[in-house]
Amino acid sequence: MTKADNTAVPKKKKRQGPIRWEAVLPVVVLVILFSLYAKFFMDTHLRMALQWGLTSAMGVQVDVRELETSFFKAHMRIAGIDVTNSESPMKNSVSVGEVRFGMLWDALLRAKIVINEAVVEQIEFGKPRPSKGWVKPPEPIIESNEPGFLAKEGEKLKGQALEKVQEDYNENVFGDLASILAGTDSQVQLSKIEESLASKKMAQELDTWVKGKQKDWETRLKTLPQGSDLQALEQRLKKVKTKDFKSPQELQDSLKELDGIFKDADAKIKTIEAAGKDLDGDLKKANADVKALEAQIKADIKALETRFRIPSLDPKALVAALFKQYLDPYLNKFQTYRALAEKYVPPNLMKKGGKEADPAIQPRPRASGVSYEFGRPNSYPLFWLKRTAVSSQAGTSPHAGNIKGEILDVTTNQVLTRKPTIANLAGDFPGMEIRDFSTKLTVDNRGEASLIELLLNVGSYPIVGRDLIKGSDVNIAFDKANGAVNVQSSLRALREFELRLGNQFNNVAYNISAKNEVVSSLLKGVFNGMPAVTLDARFSGTLPRINTSVNSNLGPELQKGLSREINAKIAEARAKIEAYVQEQVGKTKAQIDTEIAKLRNQVDGEVKKLQAQADSKKKEVETQKEKAKKDAENSAKKGVENEAKKAAEQLKKRLGL
Amino acid sequence: MTLLLKQLFAFFRMLNSDTGHNQLAAGLSCGIILGFSPFLSLQTLILLFVLLFFRIQIGAAFMAAFFFKFVAWLVDPLADALGRAVLENEGLRPLFVSLYNMPLVPLTRFNNSIVMGSMVVGVLLAIPAFFIFRSLILKYRATFVARFKETKIWKAWTATKFYAWYTTYEKLYL
Repeated sequence: MTKADNTAVPKKKKRQGPIRWEAVLPVVVLVILFSLYAKFFMDTHLRMALQWGLTSAMGVQVDVRELETSFFKAHMRIAGIDVTNSESPMKNSVSVGEVRFGMLWDALLRAKIVINEAVVEQIEFGKPRPSKGWVKPPEPIIESNEPGFLAKEGEKLKGQALEKVQEDYNENVFGDLASILAGTDSQVQLSKIEESLASKKMAQELDTWVKGKQKDWETRLKTLPQGSDLQALEQRLKKVKTKDFKSPQELQDSLKELDGIFKDADAKIKTIEAAGKDLDGDLKKANADVKALEAQIKADIKALETRFRIPSLDPKALVAALFKQYLDPYLNKFQTYRALAEKYVPPNLMKKGGKEADPAIQPRPRASGVSYEFGRPNSYPLFWLKRTAVSSQAGTSPHAGNIKGEILDVTTNQVLTRKPTIANLAGDFPGMEIRDFSTKLTVDNRGEASLIELLLNVGSYPIVGRDLIKGSDVNIAFDKANGAVNVQSSLRALREFELRLGNQFNNVAYNISAKNEVVSSLLKGVFNGMPAVTLDARFSGTLPRINTSVNSNLGPELQKGLSREINAKIAEARAKIEAYVQEQVGKTKAQIDTEIAKLRNQVDGEVKKLQAQADSKKKEVETQKEKAKKDAENSAKKGVENEAKKAAEQLKKRLGL
Repeated sequence: MTLLLKQLFAFFRMLNSDTGHNQLAAGLSCGIILGFSPFLSLQTLILLFVLLFFRIQIGAAFMAAFFFKFVAWLVDPLADALGRAVLENEGLRPLFVSLYNMPLVPLTRFNNSIVMGSMVVGVLLAIPAFFIFRSLILKYRATFVARFKETKIWKAWTATKFYAWYTTYEKLYL
């Protein structure tokens, strides 16, 4: 075929309309394919996605056995939800038999999810797993010396470590008590302290200072006006004429001489006064240093008591130490859920703001904008689960319980629904001997500050083999007991937290063991006399800082029981420490006291004596001066009187009288 | 992927042919709206159906959507401000309340400031863009394509056996 043949037969194209009719078939094929996928594979993929999402969010393996959806009914059924227990991965923390709910198409078409009624059935706790569940390993701690954000994090970790040390110390209270009771002298091996005590060093420094001052004052005393100087003044004073002045010039000369002596005496007094002031300053400093030394000695004794773990018999400290291991798992769980809330609750609700800027350059994330809700009365919020009926029947499994309750009005916008979220659950778990369980949870976001309240009561639950104190010296455990718990908790504005826990343990059988026989019998005596124990705890504060206060009737009883035996031992250990410190520092301190007293008596006395002498000389000069002045006045007066008498007699003679 | 590549080749073929300038301009304009719309929304779905059922050049639409997605990302702050201004307008409030509580309309996510702002920008740009693209295509064909066909390189290429074979294949199958 030639090129001309190719171009000669032009193929006339059919004019095409605006609608692409040929696309109908591919679209129909696509719709059929999607329907087939939805029918046969979507549920499986949704189930896998749900498992993956829940596992990632909770940090433990979450299994979902079945998931069924119905597009036309907008219905979903999820069965066999197993959440692994993070502390015991061979068990589930909670298992839910079935959850089913139907959404309203009316709301779905408005891009909202409204569920009239959901059903949760067959709840089980602590059910064994067929295989070990995955638990997310703890985040590694990054060590760095970089300043800024990482340095701050480092500081935070340091603070946490210090708190941990403090906690560890509290935990060992009973071990320390046991050691003291057992009379372990090795604890108070003071001679093994290699580094010097702070008070000892301070005393040595003070001693050197006092000795130096003593030398200084000895030198200075020699430079002060002595008795001979004052006697010389006296000699000079004696030579000055103070009466029978023959002429005014003579009087003037005497007065000038007296002024010179007065000035000399005054200068000597001033020198002695300045020395006296300096001495006062030195003595005051010495007194203050001695007081500081005494305080340091006390601080050293206290530090040694802490170092050698001399326990105190404060009932609160005893209770805190006793129930620490019991309460720690609950506090850890609370911290886990709080961290989850921090991670997933929207920033505006948690008031997260003020995030540290990442130093690395990051691409600008796509902004999410602001979504406005144009609600009106009786319209749907974005999500509204009107009622969830919770029911579970005991008997099918030993981990299942009789639970009945409902969760009302779970929604994203309580202002629109005008109802708070309320959950009421009650029941018991006969297989686990948990009876009269009831809880009421209220979440109210209608006001300016949200309020979450929780009331929880458990009438009776068994405690078997629960460790209270587990150490190398002492072990105390609840072998068997019946517990009852009452919890009242509130969280305001997702920050202000308060939890009151009231625990009662009845028919308690203890398991107590100690290395030392005396300790063991003493602790058994105290604990076995208390078959009923109360534990009241209060956790409050602004998250994440929580203050803890723990009280128990065990505290005073323990104090009473232990104080008889242990007080003497504690006093003995304290006395040993005090004696050691006194031995190290006391000698130097006594020496310092003597030296200061010596300085005070010797120098102070000398200075005062000199000052008194100089003062008397000064007075003497003043007296002499006054005397000279008076004498001159009297002489002048007498001269004038004589002249007047002479003149009168001459006048009488002239007049012939 | 094959379908997408086929559409892209069709776009270039059509661009260099003498027909379909309206289809191309409409495709590029639809691409602007697609680029400014969120991927998972009702308006995207409707536009895809429009592209599928009306004779609009799909390759052009996808190419424009790809390009304008980046533009939309860059003008996000502007779209956010514009969207807020529109959504907070008191005069439009009753309209938005009705739309928000109407079936299907909330699926467009019009109540989000960025979606609303982008939608306004996209729709406002799409109408004049249709006429601009159409005139640019006609100008391109009249100047660049016509001149290129007169070049020796093109004439030498059209004289090759491979070109002859390709044109035959195109007439038969494409």
